[in-house]
Amino acid sequence: MRWRIPAGLPVALVVAAVLAVLPFELSGYHQVLAAHVGIYFIAILGLNILTGYTGQISIGHGAFMAIGGYTTAVMSHYHHTNLVLTLPLAFALAFACGVLVGIPALRFSGVYLALATFALAVSVPQLALKFSKFLGGSNGLETSKTVSHAWLYAACWSCAAILFVVAWLLLRGRTGRAFRAVRDSELAAVSTGISLPIYKTLAFGVSAAFAGVAGSLFVIETNGFAQPNEFGVILSLQILIGAAVAGLGSLRGVLVGALFIGLLPEISSSAPLIGSAHGQDVVFGLIVIAIMILLPNGVAGLLARLARLRARA
Amino acid sequence: MGMKGRRILVVLATAALVAVVSATAAFGAHRTDPGITSTQITIGGTFPLTGPAALYSTIPLAEKAYFDYVNDHGGVNGRKIKFEILDDAYDPSKTVPLTQQLVEQDKVFADYGSLGTAPSLAVWKYLNQQKVPQVLLATGDSYWGFSYKTYPWTTGFQPDYPGEAKIYGKYILKNLPNAKIGVIYQNDSYGKNYLAGLRVGLGLAKAKTMIVSAQSYDVTQTSLTQQILALKASGADTFVVFATPSPTITALATAAAVGWAPTQTFVNNVSAVSVFMQLAASHGAKIDGAISTGYLVDATVPSEANLPGIALGKQILAQYAPGLDVKNQLTFYGLADAWTMVYALKNAGKTPTRVGLMNALHNLDPKKAKNPFLYPGVSLQTSFKNGSHDNFPLEAETLVKWSGGGAGGWTPFGTVYQGAR
Repeated sequence: MRWRIPAGLPVALVVAAVLAVLPFELSGYHQVLAAHVGIYFIAILGLNILTGYTGQISIGHGAFMAIGGYTTAVMSHYHHTNLVLTLPLAFALAFACGVLVGIPALRFSGVYLALATFALAVSVPQLALKFSKFLGGSNGLETSKTVSHAWLYAACWSCAAILFVVAWLLLRGRTGRAFRAVRDSELAAVSTGISLPIYKTLAFGVSAAFAGVAGSLFVIETNGFAQPNEFGVILSLQILIGAAVAGLGSLRGVLVGALFIGLLPEISSSAPLIGSAHGQDVVFGLIVIAIMILLPNGVAGLLARLARLRARA
Repeated sequence: MGMKGRRILVVLATAALVAVVSATAAFGAHRTDPGITSTQITIGGTFPLTGPAALYSTIPLAEKAYFDYVNDHGGVNGRKIKFEILDDAYDPSKTVPLTQQLVEQDKVFADYGSLGTAPSLAVWKYLNQQKVPQVLLATGDSYWGFSYKTYPWTTGFQPDYPGEAKIYGKYILKNLPNAKIGVIYQNDSYGKNYLAGLRVGLGLAKAKTMIVSAQSYDVTQTSLTQQILALKASGADTFVVFATPSPTITALATAAAVGWAPTQTFVNNVSAVSVFMQLAASHGAKIDGAISTGYLVDATVPSEANLPGIALGKQILAQYAPGLDVKNQLTFYGLADAWTMVYALKNAGKTPTRVGLMNALHNLDPKKAKNPFLYPGVSLQTSFKNGSHDNFPLEAETLVKWSGGGAGGWTPFGTVYQGAR
């Protein structure tokens, strides 16, 4: 079969080029902001695989971020593991946890699955308080090394790039088609021989693994400090909102979703009228509502609509 | 002199001129520390303005009121204080980027007054690496006082928790020598450090015999019935509560609910704010006679109404922060903390320097640093002279007793315990 240039490759290459050059133009502080967007990029990518491609909702991805983040903190703190090595460790452990969650989740769907994952989001970070001796408790757990702003940027966007390619390869092949079949009609999928348990738990595992890496980078971004308050319920909701803004079921809008979640608090805090602490939350909420009304399929949906308009013209 | 000679002379003269000019420039041009201009000192801190600890947002607002007052009365040797209050919602993942913003974007002179142990731990390595003062932190953990060797740019402010517990131990030894003590403590460093301080105050030998039961709870638990029942069954008659506000209220209410009536209760300072005590009483807790500590002037105590600090505090709050309730002890915490910062800034050099600020904070002389917002008998004191390393600005506390039930308040009694460390 002839190898066709994948649609979107030119855009992806341009974005990659910009990202490669960007850190040299940014101040240290802005490098951190950009890295922050990269972390959300990875988390939203992961959630999209689960919710957008197999239709399983999760408002608990903050829990998987916590698992990844604490993996990095524990390995670095107790074993002085190289921070880069903790990333695949976090990926693996979060994957395992995702599969473990995915198995009972087979019985749930819709709002019940949402509630079950919400329970995860609430309870998992508390484990650090329960096992406070080992996991640092409320005073947190620190890595043995901290990193420079430039290192953080490089790590976040390298992981983002690698995981984006992984996601793309996964989703364009048989697995991706199986995922979409599961999402569109479980009955039809089963009747064509697709094993629901395997693909649904696989999706949970992969999705959680992505969130785990995002969590590791999140802890590294926080000066290597892992503490339960960092992984509140809000984090899970933010990832879901980011995925919705990006557009579920497509990889195209993920960057915009990440920019939205990563930068909006920053931008709104310096806006004049609404710059106060509470004003920010109100504005954020209003914007999310507006986007859901105007762009129910997110940015990806918008791009698809524009493409169709262009095709018709 | 020939042509060549004159040229050499010109060159030498120019060189000399350049040397003199640049030398003067080098001597004349001071490189001031970041955050210092001829008219302004910029400081900033991270505080929970929203989120689970938002009730502490009173503290930075009171501090800002004090700085506004100082700015209107000559400032710090002519410079006005610009105080940036950033909201980290008690979330270290927000504290870190906000602190980086303060240091790298806003170029503050010092990180001042930041609130919370975990948030402060998340940034103290960073701030010390950057040699940015991290001072007068709003948390009672002892790390800030002990760690001057590894973290020389960090100081705390309030009397630390173990020191406070030592005072309870000393009081019990003296006044309740036959007490059977039952302790409930939070199962983390907060509670454990408090318990350790109590043991030191009692003396380790007595602690073994007098503490008949020590029950811990996880901060995630909402019900403390099991622990309270265990304390009741142990026969304890003295109840010591080392818990953050919410579990404290639960513990006090549960004790009453299960019919346990210890003859003496001790409540840790952080949870003893009048509002919490009144809330506990409204849930049925028997709080009359409970003992805690105090180190600030308190506008709810009638006998203190004539103290100069009360009048000054009321005046400042009325003018610069009318939205704050003067009866909330947290306002006087903020005023006292801000007063200390202004005093230190004024003693940090004619042009304040970061090193100067740390020196001032490490050498607080009680005879000179007379903070009006401190309870009479409580003074600021630190010393890094003559080999000593006292890095705890406040150690003295007075005991206070609750009376008046659900509508009552704290009254100081007895002497001020000095230097609990």
